[in-house]
Amino acid sequence: MDRTLTNFIRALRTADVRISTAETLDAMNTVELVGYRDREFLKHSLSLVLPKTADEKETFDSCFDQFFRFEDVSSQQNPEHEGSDTGDDQAGGDSGEGGGSGDRQPGQPPTGTNSGKKKSKAKKPNNNLYEEEEEEDLGPGDMAEAASALGQLLMKNSMVDLSMEMAKAGEEVGVRDIQIFTQKGLYTRRIMDAMGLAELNGEIGQLRQHPQIPSRRLGQELKRRRDFLREQVRDYVERQFLLNADVSGKKLREELLRKVKLSNVEHRNFRLIQEIVYKMAKKLTTMHSRRKKVYKRGQLNVPRTLRHNMAFDGAIFDLHWKSVKIDRPKVFAICDVSGSVASYARFMLMFLYSLEEVMPKVRSFAFSSDLAEVTSLFQRDKIEDAIAKVLRDYSGGSTDYGQALLDFKNLCLDDVDNRTTIIILGDARNNYGDPHAEVLKEIYDRSKRVIWLNPEARLSWNTGDSEMRRYQAYSHQVDECNSLMHLERVVGNLLRQVT
Amino acid sequence: MADISSIAESVDSLQQHLEKHNYICSNQIATAVYLAFHLHKPILIEGPPGVGKTELAKTTSEMFELPLIRLQCYEGLDESKAIYEWKYGKQLLYTQVLKEALDEVLAGAKGFAQSVQRLHEFGDIFFSEEFLEPRPLLKALNEEQGCILLIDEIDKSDHEFESLLLEILSDYQVSIPEIGTVKAAQEPPMVFLTSNNTREISDALKRRCLHLYIPFPDVELERRIIHARVPEVPPELQRQLVSFIHELRDLDLKKVPAISETIDWARTLMLLHTETLEPQLVRDTLNVILKFQEDIENVDGEINALTAKIRKA
Repeated sequence: MDRTLTNFIRALRTADVRISTAETLDAMNTVELVGYRDREFLKHSLSLVLPKTADEKETFDSCFDQFFRFEDVSSQQNPEHEGSDTGDDQAGGDSGEGGGSGDRQPGQPPTGTNSGKKKSKAKKPNNNLYEEEEEEDLGPGDMAEAASALGQLLMKNSMVDLSMEMAKAGEEVGVRDIQIFTQKGLYTRRIMDAMGLAELNGEIGQLRQHPQIPSRRLGQELKRRRDFLREQVRDYVERQFLLNADVSGKKLREELLRKVKLSNVEHRNFRLIQEIVYKMAKKLTTMHSRRKKVYKRGQLNVPRTLRHNMAFDGAIFDLHWKSVKIDRPKVFAICDVSGSVASYARFMLMFLYSLEEVMPKVRSFAFSSDLAEVTSLFQRDKIEDAIAKVLRDYSGGSTDYGQALLDFKNLCLDDVDNRTTIIILGDARNNYGDPHAEVLKEIYDRSKRVIWLNPEARLSWNTGDSEMRRYQAYSHQVDECNSLMHLERVVGNLLRQVT
Repeated sequence: MADISSIAESVDSLQQHLEKHNYICSNQIATAVYLAFHLHKPILIEGPPGVGKTELAKTTSEMFELPLIRLQCYEGLDESKAIYEWKYGKQLLYTQVLKEALDEVLAGAKGFAQSVQRLHEFGDIFFSEEFLEPRPLLKALNEEQGCILLIDEIDKSDHEFESLLLEILSDYQVSIPEIGTVKAAQEPPMVFLTSNNTREISDALKRRCLHLYIPFPDVELERRIIHARVPEVPPELQRQLVSFIHELRDLDLKKVPAISETIDWARTLMLLHTETLEPQLVRDTLNVILKFQEDIENVDGEINALTAKIRKA
């Protein structure tokens, strides 16, 4: 199993690139063919196999750069690693190898990194880091042996062993469960503890008080390496966070937004809501697009013709044509866009028009006091712009459902037939005006379905100036609808019933 | 016969060979062909119209010297057009002609059951390969030496048709109920699918393909393309016209000019013996690169500024 690759794929999934198991296998075959040698080649190849839309490709690009740079950086952050050692010309190859011999890969000890390290170790006294130390200068010389396990590990100078230890500790404390970014410090601390930090600290403290110089020297060195280790662990946690947590944060938010009342959605979340609406719409589209068939003009259905004419001794005179009934729902949406309901209307319209592929015949009407058709706005502009315009132009005035229904009757009652579904979105609060329920009855008689969606909770229906009871009598279906989940259910049912 | 395996040995070699056939491409595109060849996977090519999606398949077929089988998708395309169809006319005709013969076969048969029994002995002659009309997909599978199968503008077809393709794309086989499963000849066809993204292609289909997105090329690449396609364009004019096109692509147009339009324009300019881009000349030939009156009117006002900018550069 290629750990680096699966880790990379996890990172991609976190970044919202959808990758199936089959594609993972493809990616493995690809890597087998291409190898990690040539970074650019690998990137091109994987970008053909993994991301499958233009958007995903962009995400992939940044993800690839980030992911394989991570490995690169970690190999360059060795305490004794000299910058000049890895020139620009080497960078491409280096990162490729970094990918192959990355931190959490116990199986293969990295050849490149190790040799580089040894080389630079010889030049240690010239190291900048060393000179910046404000410690007493003990000069080069012998060093005592470290006693604690972690100390020995640090002095072993093997990045691979260190990483393995780090990964093990990470597993122990369950770093993969990291959820939010504030937990980063906590997990860093826990991992350090699990690796034996307390013991090491004790040892450093002792060594620095020690009368013998080699021991004091070791103390300094250990302290320096401990700080380096802390850097490393922080990096490791950071990476785990990016790999595992970022998405759950987003998912959590999406999940919440689906359920939250639409009027409470904050403005900054509108974009995310839009994304969710499109996602839901897409789901419904794929679910229901199968039913939408194409009418095949004038094609002879030969097998059927033959079958039917068998009775006439094979003489063909009863012809059968290929034709498939198209069943696209005709939807009229009547939306109250007065202040109290406007935010619901926004999302409902967004939803309906996102379903264009399966519901091409949506006509929409907006009213607060007078009603007008706004379909043409949606044909001309983008959905968001159209919605903004509708809300701007029609939302003034006090709500008058009676007048709106009368207007609707005058405007297009003739277009309502027994295949039309009418969705009315509104709280039915009529300011004590005449509700004109008889108009709704007329619509009810002519149409296939009248669905009344009320954003208020069921309990507050029929209180105060709400005319819900009277309208309810002339609706096929009344529903409480104030979150995306409700909306999805209603529209889903709508599509299901059209068959 | 071209030595396919040596051509496809490395990405660089593929790129060079494609160039030899006048298809100048980026490393990414050559990589796609390389992977498709070695992993035996179809390529789904997306990108704006006119960037050479179909051309890639054609050139690959020229390069490998393999036959190109093309299936143009449109709304209402179904399996009888894409995979196979029974030759109903032939079946009908034969039943009529063979009526007499049937009598002989059935002579002496006692009762219905026995007659049917006898008929069964003859097998399903009417549903054998003789009566099968292979359509592009089946033809591609039957090609002995392998071939290039181009399924053009898959986004124009219906959802159902995509599902129909899944079997052939993943296993290089099709199932015909009356005959059985037809598997690809020794060398499976190399499949190119193109899409203009007028609608989302289903995930199932995407999963089975390599996904190549061809964007508009950068200036350098486009100049090389022009050089390969219209070699007689002098370098200075070549630079000017490519930069002009790139300026246009940055504008907010209904349809931005693609590579094919650049090539057409270069040819037009050659026909008019042009040396440098003059505003008047650009204005006169604008309809070669812009296909909407609205766009032409929008650009018209900017021509002077654009040409001046380009000639200065």
